[in-house]
Amino acid sequence: MSRDILVIGGGIAGIQSSLDLAEMGFKVHLVERLPSIGGKMAQLDKTFPTNDCAI
Amino acid sequence: MLDVGRHPNIELLAYSEVEKVEGEAGDFRITVRRKARYVDEDKCTGCGACKEKCPTIVPDAFNRGLGQRKAIYSWFAQGIPSTHTIDPQYCRQLNGKKCGVCKKGCKADAINFDQKERIIELEVASIIVATGYDIFDPALIHEYQYGKIANVVTAIEFERLLSASGPTGGHLDRPSDRAIEAEIEELEKKAAKSQKVIGKFEEQHGESSAEFYTRYEKGEFKGDEEREKWAERYKEHLAIVEPLEALKKRAEGFSAAKRLAFIQCVGSRDARFYPFCSGYCCMHSIKEAIIAHEHGSETTSTIFGMDIRAVGKGFEEYKVRGGNNSNIRYARGRVAEIIEGPDNNPIVVYEDTRERKVKEEEFDLVILATACAPNSGVKQLAEILDIEIDRFGFYKTSANQPLDTSRPGIFVCGCAHGPMDIPESVAQASSAAARAVQIVTASEKLRKAS
Repeated sequence: MSRDILVIGGGIAGIQSSLDLAEMGFKVHLVERLPSIGGKMAQLDKTFPTNDCAI
Repeated sequence: MLDVGRHPNIELLAYSEVEKVEGEAGDFRITVRRKARYVDEDKCTGCGACKEKCPTIVPDAFNRGLGQRKAIYSWFAQGIPSTHTIDPQYCRQLNGKKCGVCKKGCKADAINFDQKERIIELEVASIIVATGYDIFDPALIHEYQYGKIANVVTAIEFERLLSASGPTGGHLDRPSDRAIEAEIEELEKKAAKSQKVIGKFEEQHGESSAEFYTRYEKGEFKGDEEREKWAERYKEHLAIVEPLEALKKRAEGFSAAKRLAFIQCVGSRDARFYPFCSGYCCMHSIKEAIIAHEHGSETTSTIFGMDIRAVGKGFEEYKVRGGNNSNIRYARGRVAEIIEGPDNNPIVVYEDTRERKVKEEEFDLVILATACAPNSGVKQLAEILDIEIDRFGFYKTSANQPLDTSRPGIFVCGCAHGPMDIPESVAQASSAAARAVQIVTASEKLRKAS
């Protein structure tokens, strides 16, 4: 039986889940429909409340 | 994002879709379809030489159609993976025409027009669904005339206009002005072509076209076929140059958008569409107004809303700071309609509920704070995963197990779950990761016991 975990969607939520799991030592398969990950957040210029760059 | 690309424990399957899910919690078998990029992922270095050569220009979806890209493209400049992709809808070679310019330009020999989609199988213990949301289509609200008035844009389009890596390089150029500038460019090309044609006549007869034409109009050169042709071409040239000059004069008055209006609850808290509050839009509009003010200190913003919902740590202070330092005015009232005034300026008609008066105000640019709508792929994926969706189209969960879907072993986080902002999405994502791990450990315990 596999210990792997599947994450569907590579936006900010999918990225965070994947990184957390990977850091805990689990193998993650991250599936994204578009050519690159980043989702809606990558389209934001800056993010609230620190006005930091989104990417 | 970079970390995802290089983490040894993450297998990134971009440009792929989940096709089939079988099994149960602790033992799922997944079928994933890897779509054909027509570019070899192992060879492509992401240098972009291919797209420089590509002759086919198409609207850039990442920039919400505000900019342009080529038929071979990277989703956005810093995208992970940086592998380029050929758009089969537009690529000349893939549509049976002779091209292949990108292949010649690729030093890594990564272009492969014969690449086929691949099916891969995975075995996993649990699944996290983080498929996000879609932007509500504001064209459905006819009175706001989105799509008809050029200078009415969505909040995410405004983000692209603000972005230094966006289609305007971070200048707040208005869409109507950009359309006119594009028209000028087009006409200039045409004018240069027709200038060449009449230039040949001028050289031949040693006379400027204007001088010749006055004489021609007076009735000289009757029956002279050659000169009649010249006159014809000159008339065609004038038909290009005259509107071009008029447009150029108009363009002289163009400047960055300075008077901004933000309209809240576009599709949210609206019984016709989504009755819920999308939650993040108030802070999003305030943030956009603050950034716009950073771009130009003379920028003023008016945020129209029923109320500003600044609920969260530091939110209220941010709102007040925007009002004090960034020329933001909060106008309490729902916007009834947007009409187009002179110079493509949108006019906002609204009720000022404090004065109990219906008012009209002219702006340079109107930004619509659109609702968080369920992702268009939700129904299809819900069927594949065999999980339930709620009445709006978000994945169904219960109040005391907010990350659990209706099928054990499958969890949901972020805007696929419902409208939420970035910090909440991140917090949910970490929680979902913990829930997913619990499935792994529980099934391992069970196996050891048996």
